[in-house]
Amino acid sequence: MNFLWYLVVRLGGALATIIVGSFLIFLIMQLAPGDPALTVLGDAATTETIAAFREEHGLDQPIIVQYAIWLEKAIQGDLGNSIALAGKFPISELLGNRLPVTIFIGIYGLAIALVISLTAGTIAALRHGKLADTVATSIAVLGISMPDFWLSYVLILAFALSFTWFPSYGFTTPAQDFFGAFYSGFLPALAIAAPMAGVFARILRASLLETARKEYVTAARSFGFAAPFVFMHYVFRNAIIPFVTVVGLQVRYLLGGVVIIERIFGISGMGSLMVDAAFGRDYPVVQACALTFLGIVLTVNLVVDIACAMLDPRRTH
Amino acid sequence: MAAISLKATVFEIRRNRVVATGLAITVLVLFAVTVGPSLSPYDPTKMDFTALLKPPSWTHPFGTNSFGVDVLTRVLYGARNSLLISFAGVSLGAFAGVLLGMTCAYIGRWVDATAMRFVDLLFSFPIFVLALMLMLILGFGVQSVIIAIALVYVPNFARMARNTTMVVKSEPYVQAAQLMGQSALRIMVREILPNIAAPLFVQFTVGLAFGIIIEAGLSFLGLGVQPPTPSLGVMMADGKDYFHRGPWVLTLTGAALTVAILGLNLLGDGLRDLLDPRLRRRSAE
Repeated sequence: MNFLWYLVVRLGGALATIIVGSFLIFLIMQLAPGDPALTVLGDAATTETIAAFREEHGLDQPIIVQYAIWLEKAIQGDLGNSIALAGKFPISELLGNRLPVTIFIGIYGLAIALVISLTAGTIAALRHGKLADTVATSIAVLGISMPDFWLSYVLILAFALSFTWFPSYGFTTPAQDFFGAFYSGFLPALAIAAPMAGVFARILRASLLETARKEYVTAARSFGFAAPFVFMHYVFRNAIIPFVTVVGLQVRYLLGGVVIIERIFGISGMGSLMVDAAFGRDYPVVQACALTFLGIVLTVNLVVDIACAMLDPRRTH
Repeated sequence: MAAISLKATVFEIRRNRVVATGLAITVLVLFAVTVGPSLSPYDPTKMDFTALLKPPSWTHPFGTNSFGVDVLTRVLYGARNSLLISFAGVSLGAFAGVLLGMTCAYIGRWVDATAMRFVDLLFSFPIFVLALMLMLILGFGVQSVIIAIALVYVPNFARMARNTTMVVKSEPYVQAAQLMGQSALRIMVREILPNIAAPLFVQFTVGLAFGIIIEAGLSFLGLGVQPPTPSLGVMMADGKDYFHRGPWVLTLTGAALTVAILGLNLLGDGLRDLLDPRLRRRSAE
């Protein structure tokens, strides 16, 4: 089986997952209490207007037909209109505004987590059993144990209220001010990064230590290769594969954190949109958000799998 | 045999600092939430208008909230609820997940393939997104939070139970039980479960820690446990409303939460290390 075939199979699997996933989301939202006809028409609803509304929106059709209609429109980029927001705002437009903000914060947080974990994990593995290792692993487990929304407030208290280095609320989008986005997004990104950095650092340390014990590493050393060369080409190159896999798996936690943190820092992204929609019982928006989040996770997992296959060609067999 | 392994376990726990620290913190937390509330001189609901929003002091180590209630006392009551909710949720998730995973591994074929694709799908949802949709259907409140935590954990336990059962399934003692004509249920409970219990227990401990975070997160957003039921998330949501005037309410409640989670995480890590060499030794034999 060659790389191209692997790519096709993996892509097909992801596509099937998103279709089944979208049906699951659709079903869940059907179970939610409340009649959309009543929500939209309000107190003025009569039996006739409700029946007319249901017919107009296809709500009198069987669920599978309703799903097919929804899916067909969704593929064309029409996710319906928001119920709660004034003027029945098109959801695709809302997502278009919100998604880039969430992606920016997510990638920013991921980048901080990668910088911290690659440094700390490597130092801990190289100084295995020494003080630096103990300090790094202790901080890592502490990072994993801190709820990110609590850490957000601790960071606000320390760096926005005590030292007024960063804003405690509000976010400048990269489109408005590119560097301002990095500045105003620093505290939220750091709060999202902390638990991930802990997980990543631990996995990198464990993976480096295990790879360093492998026979081919001993063999490389016995050839008299310099220690940094052995580390880079024999240890790190192989140890990085499980690390990349875990980075991919953590995306669902990352997006989970975003849902809460965006609200704390007043960031108008996907997370705060979904929570607001949940409070407003704006089901079409919740549905679209859930589908988008699922799409992001599946895309990232796909990219990670392909990256791993490129790093380790054995995987495609 | 049992006595020897118990002695060995105690010895290894004392030798392993991570387990010892985790166990100490966890026992301390359990002691605090069970006995603590009755030791406190304050009432968790009684308002004191002479002591509104007082910073931490000797009389109120965690300060008081906007109603003059002692925050430490409320933390003890709230932590008890948070732990119970997490415990109930993870137990439910573990039960359903282990049942699903073992059944899949035992039956195999298309049942296994279909169920595991579904588990993969659940695994692809961001945790709070899944929980949030569930809260919409079930309504806010304690029961819904428990079910949300359970649903988050079903895939984890199902995968782990399936993969370990696959390994154990072909062991001679399972084949012997099959040849003796024992029922599938009996074999799964009596022969397989005890042999895959160790990693599941580790997962349970770590799951308990993250279950507390899920409860706190949902309640913090206002989508979970509803006041006046005290939980750590509810108290932090309350504290955020006057964070600028009394930051200690949210900060110290969260610090207590972090300590409890840290204890469980250390315990889980340590147990994993403790159990791992034994598993390796067993497979080497």
